[in-house]
Amino acid sequence: MLLPTTVVGSYSVPEWLERLKTDFYRKRLSAAHLSDIEDVAIKAAIKDQERAGIDIVSDGELRRDNDVDYLLARMPGVRPTTTVKSYYFDYYDLALTTPLTEQPVGLAEDFRFTREQTDKPIKFSFTGPFSLSRRIRDEAYGDRAELVRALARALNAEAHDLVRAGATMLQIDEPFLAGYPEQVALAVEAINIVTAGVEATWGLHVCYGNRYARPSWEGHYTFLFPTVLDARVDQLILEFARKGDEDLPAIADLGWDRALGLGVLDVKTEDVETSERVAKRISRALEVIDADKLIINPDCGLRHVTPPVARAKLRAMVEGAAVVRHRLLGTSEDLVAAGDSAAAD
Amino acid sequence: MLVEIRPVARLRGKTPLDVSTPLTTVLEVLRDGTVDLSRVRVVCDWIQYKENFRDVVDVRQIGPGTPDQELEVAIDLRRAAAADLADLTRRLMAHNGSPEAPDRIWLEQWLPGSQGCIWLFNRLYWQALHLWERATGRGYESALPGGASDARNEAAIRELISDLFRIWDDLSDRRALPDELYVVELGVGNGNQAKAWLDEFVVMDREHGRDYYRRLHYLMCDYSPHVLDIARKTVAEHGDHVSSLVLDATTPTTVLGFLRYKVFLVYVSNVYDNLPCDEVVSIGGEAFAVETRAFLPASAAATIAASCSIETPALPALIHKLLQIGPELLAEAMPTQFADADAAVTFWRDCWQSLRRAERFVPMRGLDSYQITPGLSGEMLRPLLDARGDLRINVNNGAVASFVDTLPLLHPYGRLVCHDLFITDVEQCRTGFRGPGKYDGSVVNWVNGPLLAHIGSRKGIDVRYAPFAHRKGTSIVTMTAQVRD
Repeated sequence: MLLPTTVVGSYSVPEWLERLKTDFYRKRLSAAHLSDIEDVAIKAAIKDQERAGIDIVSDGELRRDNDVDYLLARMPGVRPTTTVKSYYFDYYDLALTTPLTEQPVGLAEDFRFTREQTDKPIKFSFTGPFSLSRRIRDEAYGDRAELVRALARALNAEAHDLVRAGATMLQIDEPFLAGYPEQVALAVEAINIVTAGVEATWGLHVCYGNRYARPSWEGHYTFLFPTVLDARVDQLILEFARKGDEDLPAIADLGWDRALGLGVLDVKTEDVETSERVAKRISRALEVIDADKLIINPDCGLRHVTPPVARAKLRAMVEGAAVVRHRLLGTSEDLVAAGDSAAAD
Repeated sequence: MLVEIRPVARLRGKTPLDVSTPLTTVLEVLRDGTVDLSRVRVVCDWIQYKENFRDVVDVRQIGPGTPDQELEVAIDLRRAAAADLADLTRRLMAHNGSPEAPDRIWLEQWLPGSQGCIWLFNRLYWQALHLWERATGRGYESALPGGASDARNEAAIRELISDLFRIWDDLSDRRALPDELYVVELGVGNGNQAKAWLDEFVVMDREHGRDYYRRLHYLMCDYSPHVLDIARKTVAEHGDHVSSLVLDATTPTTVLGFLRYKVFLVYVSNVYDNLPCDEVVSIGGEAFAVETRAFLPASAAATIAASCSIETPALPALIHKLLQIGPELLAEAMPTQFADADAAVTFWRDCWQSLRRAERFVPMRGLDSYQITPGLSGEMLRPLLDARGDLRINVNNGAVASFVDTLPLLHPYGRLVCHDLFITDVEQCRTGFRGPGKYDGSVVNWVNGPLLAHIGSRKGIDVRYAPFAHRKGTSIVTMTAQVRD
């Protein structure tokens, strides 16, 4: 399909769910009740995506407390210094006291639940080894690079487990990488450990952070190159809506010839893009990236916007992609018009 | 009957506060009346503001306005000894606690505190500051605690700049320092703080040797174009490094949206305490909104009305006209009443001096039915109100709005620094009066620090409070907010 639409991972967390999840971390709600509530929330999130017309859906990561702890805190050997949080979304202080095992922590079960709820293709995402390593105090390896590689091996086992459960599209998120541009080589080495031998379509998402709807870093995607060309992934999924697309030509010039996930929705604002604006953003990308290489997605997860805003943004994205798709599949005059329109953005 | 004595620290020491005499006096009046004593609570404050909006004794209705509702009788212990408490209480209770007493000239309907006309007076003060200062012969800073703004304290400024240099050096070494280095000041006043800050910056930058001044953009922001004009002249020698922008401190991104995530320092001094504020009371586990209604005591109203040759019933409309168009236009519009702008300012000052607020407590249907600011639910108050016992807290809606709308401006390594009258623990609300009070022509409220910290925490922001380190004996607290993680 030309210009498929998808999400980056997380979906809007309603205020009531936030309160209940926080209640769980303050020991006011049982794990069983929370699990039931999350089941319902995931079903609703999938329904929202389907109704918006998203081609490749996710579970919205609604079982997760944040992008790190849901994975890390469950790995054998990782110990939180406290198990109470002010907000469910806060990070734990985590310490690794013994070397990691390559025992899956159970993401496959999350995938199976999602699989049962939809006939749409599913993308399943998890945080990558480099970013995970930035949130852990290492008392086991004594060498941060070794820690990253060990995390990668654990995630590789997780990925195999996910594929056995039926996953075909997996995405590695590296939200911390932009803060450590000098360590891209280590991150890419670890990504290749994660993906090794796993038969799936792999995406790599690199953003500038989305903690509490704020960027954690600033900079340019050129820091990824040329090292990222060695990453054994099929898609690079980047944010452009908030930052602007000035890095797009460089990404093409620097040799990225695989698929590009184009961020067309700013997830850090409640302002809803119009479908026309989305269409213009896609059209501008088409000036430097071939249409068959483009995937259309938000900049990052939608967890910080309200449900009505998330729904409206997704609808705008789907409509904007449809407009451009129609132009591309129409006459050559249509294509020229799309280019002219984009130039006016 | 519940009796709550808030200023407990004053009950001991060399000159302990006499509580028993005023309390006994009020209790005897209540005993001799007909009110159901089991439905009365008596609270004793010690109101530190020489000028304020309270009478020595106030009576407040608690609840839905039915005949069996509870009453709160509030006593200001500071002024109690000099007043005839028995007479005051008797007169208030003669109306069975109803605040609809006949000796009051009402200026408005019952409203949430933040929407009351005291805030229109406050706004007028900043809009027509030059006229007020001309009439009083005093600058606004002299009305502040200590007689000067802490914003100009050199040691505090040096500390802030040193912190900035440390962050910038680190970012520069990682080639992550933007070309433009933005600093924003909200509520710039006469520009003296900006000048002191920029002068110090130049000196320290020269010593530091990294030429950050060349890249510095200092944005002075204020509600008043007149104030900005003055501030611009004050910092004229810093020329192109300074821009001035008119904005409402409660909605900074409406003007500064182009600086989202780009500002390294947002500096706010003595602004939050001067922004509209609701209050919420928790009594017996139930939350009540404090509604207020401004009035003038009838005797004062008669004097003021006579001074400008109008009948007393016409006074509220005239006051609202003043609040709407200001003293200069009022004098032009009503030359018979006001010979010139100075005469209108005298009228304004007289009204301000006599201005009072009645209160009543209205049940809240649920915290989430209340909006602190648009988009911020009253649920944010829950952790504070869940604290043990009865409690009355400031919501500081204007300060919260400003705080929340400032956070998106901060660079990932940026910080918001604010000097103000913060409470740092809700317990302080049990043991002291937290406003509102009157400064010269403006309103002052203590700012609910735990509320801002809670809201900040929800948004991934660490909020810390520390006593202002550079002046002894001050009540000023420094709030520092910066991104967590």
